[in-house]
Amino acid sequence: MIAAGPRSRFTELGLLVWVALLILFGFIAVSGAALSAAEPAPIGITAALTPSALVIPATFVALAIALHVFLVARGFRGDQILLPLALALTAIGLVEVERLAPETLLVQQLTWTVVAAGVFVVAILWPRDLATLARYKYSWALLGLALLALPMLPVVGRDINGARIWIHLGPVSFEPLEVVKVFLVVFFAAYLEEHRELLAAPPRRFGPLRLPPIPYLLPIVLMWGLGMAVMVLQNDIGATLILFVVFVAMLYFATGRWEYSLVGLLLLLVGSWGAIEIFRHVRVRVDIWLTPFSNDLRFGPSYQLIQGLFALGNAGLIGAGLGNGMPERIPVVWSDFVFNAFTEEVGFLGALALLALYLVLVFRGMAISLRAPTPFLQLLAAGLSFTLAFQTLVIVAGNAKLIPLTGVTLPFVSYGGSSLVTNFLIIALLLRISDATARVRGGSG
Amino acid sequence: MEIPYQLALWGVRIAFLLVLYILLVRSFGALWRTLRTESELAARPALAYLIVQRSHATGPRVGERLPLRAASTIGRDSGNDVVINDDAASARHALIQLADGSWWIEDQGSTNGTLLNGSRLARRERIRDGDVLDVGRVALRFEATL
Repeated sequence: MIAAGPRSRFTELGLLVWVALLILFGFIAVSGAALSAAEPAPIGITAALTPSALVIPATFVALAIALHVFLVARGFRGDQILLPLALALTAIGLVEVERLAPETLLVQQLTWTVVAAGVFVVAILWPRDLATLARYKYSWALLGLALLALPMLPVVGRDINGARIWIHLGPVSFEPLEVVKVFLVVFFAAYLEEHRELLAAPPRRFGPLRLPPIPYLLPIVLMWGLGMAVMVLQNDIGATLILFVVFVAMLYFATGRWEYSLVGLLLLLVGSWGAIEIFRHVRVRVDIWLTPFSNDLRFGPSYQLIQGLFALGNAGLIGAGLGNGMPERIPVVWSDFVFNAFTEEVGFLGALALLALYLVLVFRGMAISLRAPTPFLQLLAAGLSFTLAFQTLVIVAGNAKLIPLTGVTLPFVSYGGSSLVTNFLIIALLLRISDATARVRGGSG
Repeated sequence: MEIPYQLALWGVRIAFLLVLYILLVRSFGALWRTLRTESELAARPALAYLIVQRSHATGPRVGERLPLRAASTIGRDSGNDVVINDDAASARHALIQLADGSWWIEDQGSTNGTLLNGSRLARRERIRDGDVLDVGRVALRFEATL
């Protein structure tokens, strides 16, 4: 059923033109702002067109065009909106890295973008049939758990900021949890598809409370235990939260029973309460969230959050202008607080547009899920879209002090290779599902 | 006349925001268009029907016309396009789809098998107007509208 000839994708191409302009203007604005402090003062705006301000956008656009041509040449019939959106967010991420840490991280981030594009291509080509993923579901789960445990090993694992979630192989460091999310979503989708009917069985009554039969609650409890283990062993609250909530959400997608969500929420509350009582680092996170300005926190643990809040407070409607703010006052701004840095310089309007891009991305993912030809693909698309949505929500809400801050990345925008590679893998899978739909049902997928 | 540098720089910054919004509006437009085509596809009359000829207490009513899409799954599970609520039908029983201008029926590994005009399906077979399918204890007549 693989189409032979190339197939035009003009919607995608049209959107990519604007992505190219976006990264170009972003780089010119940032390098122009860096020059404006120079002596003698530059005269024409052409002075801002430095080689570095042009080479990186040009490389990025070439990469984007290459991906587009690859899909066209394959006769790919899947969605045409997701790839430009993902690339636009990646472009914003590159502009922010250029703004915040050009000497140290820019080349790395560009290299990781190329690697992510490579992973995207591989995931489009292999496996030939996505149903294969479902067949090897326990292998994916085991692989995911093994990767999750890898940072605990003595040689490759290392603590960064108190969390033991990285592996190091020579010069390359990787956060396995990012990819583990995808493996576990694939496993959940396959597992839930297989046991959907049992899980959706009528709930049993306990007085006024209606609960699903006890044996079917076992997976949710196991998952909860796994999340707690990750938190205890690796000090990673964000990972625990995302893995568990994604699982509960997928359980709801598969069964349509809110009782599971209720049980999940209760387990989450119990777990959080326990964690706050037992672990000091969790307690500190909550204190930072509740009273960031208290005397013993504001120049210590909550300094980062406070500077982030100042950045948001200074943003105004259109912000300080790219390159014109002071986001470098926030420690580790390029990974944890990139949303605040972006908002400070492009203002409320820019932040709104950024969040709206995520909204369109997630909406498209859910639309793909609704149309997908098999329950497995439906659950997979919904789970992957939900993961992106929830992760964005957790980090942006953390940055804005709506919830305690957890160290997860802002998808595509935060500096970080593992995150970028994983998110492009997610986009590739969503495109594959949409392509499968188009091939079965006709139309554009 | 030279434009002052700071003014030009602000021009670039505003252009960045503007492009961000154009991109947003364009992608939203593309999303809107795909949703509209989908709802138009859904509003079209069905490409073919399965008409219930013989049924069982819990199954569909005799005489009911079940619409088919370009690819429709048949089975007991409520997620199927054609739901056959009969104990003798499997959760995912069969797949009927339009490919290369004709209709094809394929058994999806069901327990009791799918019968096409009385003979059990071993592989994907072509199905024509008037053919009769047996899924569980339910008999369905295929009617193509094309």
